[in-house]
Amino acid sequence: MLSGKQFQRYSRQLMLEDVGESGQEKLSQASILIVGLGGLGSPAAMYLAAAGVGRLLLADPDRLDLTNLQRQVLYQTADIGGGKAALAATALAALNPEIRLEAIDSAMDRETLDQHLPGVDLVLDCTDNGQSRQDINRACFAHRLPLLSAAALGWEGQLAGFDFRAGAGPCYSCLIAEGSPEPVASCATTGVIGPVLGIMGSMQAVEAVRLLVSGSCSVFGQLRRYDGKRGSWFRVGLVRQPSCPVCGNPRVET
Amino acid sequence: MIRVLFFGALADIAGREQLDLTWQPSLDSPAAIRLALAASAPALERALQQPQVLVARNLDQAGWDTPVADGDEIAFMPPVTGG
Ligand SMILES: [Zn+2]
Repeated sequence: MLSGKQFQRYSRQLMLEDVGESGQEKLSQASILIVGLGGLGSPAAMYLAAAGVGRLLLADPDRLDLTNLQRQVLYQTADIGGGKAALAATALAALNPEIRLEAIDSAMDRETLDQHLPGVDLVLDCTDNGQSRQDINRACFAHRLPLLSAAALGWEGQLAGFDFRAGAGPCYSCLIAEGSPEPVASCATTGVIGPVLGIMGSMQAVEAVRLLVSGSCSVFGQLRRYDGKRGSWFRVGLVRQPSCPVCGNPRVET
Repeated sequence: MIRVLFFGALADIAGREQLDLTWQPSLDSPAAIRLALAASAPALERALQQPQVLVARNLDQAGWDTPVADGDEIAFMPPVTGG
């Protein structure tokens, strides 16, 4: 049951037929792990906290740096030097004191993921490197958890959705194979437009809300590309690779 | 004819978002299309050689050796990795 205060706080989304009181209760009972609290994780976490997702696990081992503030809108100038996970939990608690926030300041390797994934309903990959993306993909596939993986660089962003609840691919490694060499370009070398990250992180939040209230979302099995310089979107169907080491057919011993 | 689409940073390098190639049997894969661009657009061909460029054929994820036929649309997307 929602309290009178909760009815007020969430009234503008409760009005939607797709949400309603039952949808709001689903949100309040849900648990989301957000890996990476930078340019993608900031808007994603802010919208999900504001929407009343009951428990957010906030994972980031980094400390806030002056160069982060151009795009990581969760933080203030006075926060520089602080650990991002704890800073994020403090900022989000001020936004919505009704939800549970857990700061995790260790790197999300396979072991740490295995430790935190039980009890989680959905994972948002908001990280900035290939190894983390592959580790998160493997862990979500093993735990049969849906995964929304986003990235951005320059004026461009992408979002891919993987529904592992039935134990099947395609997975992130079908799209970008494990062990692929890392591209030369990164946010540190090439730069990135802050609101492009904002759009992609917000899209992760939209799809997360949609998944939690309805059980499905439109990005599963798809890659969405956004080009902020040309204002264009492109949608690509993901294809399961039978030879994929993560979700492919297990080798049958003969 | 094969329609080739370039996204984002690749469109910047190509100076265009779209290129229509007259169909010929040698253009039988995205890798062959990339090679065909080397003479006229060497910088673009180099950019397509970088790791993690994504390829789509007729709006579905594809690989560099996916078969290409007359009338197909091939899209090339540069890697985006930041967060
Ligand atoms: Zn796979």
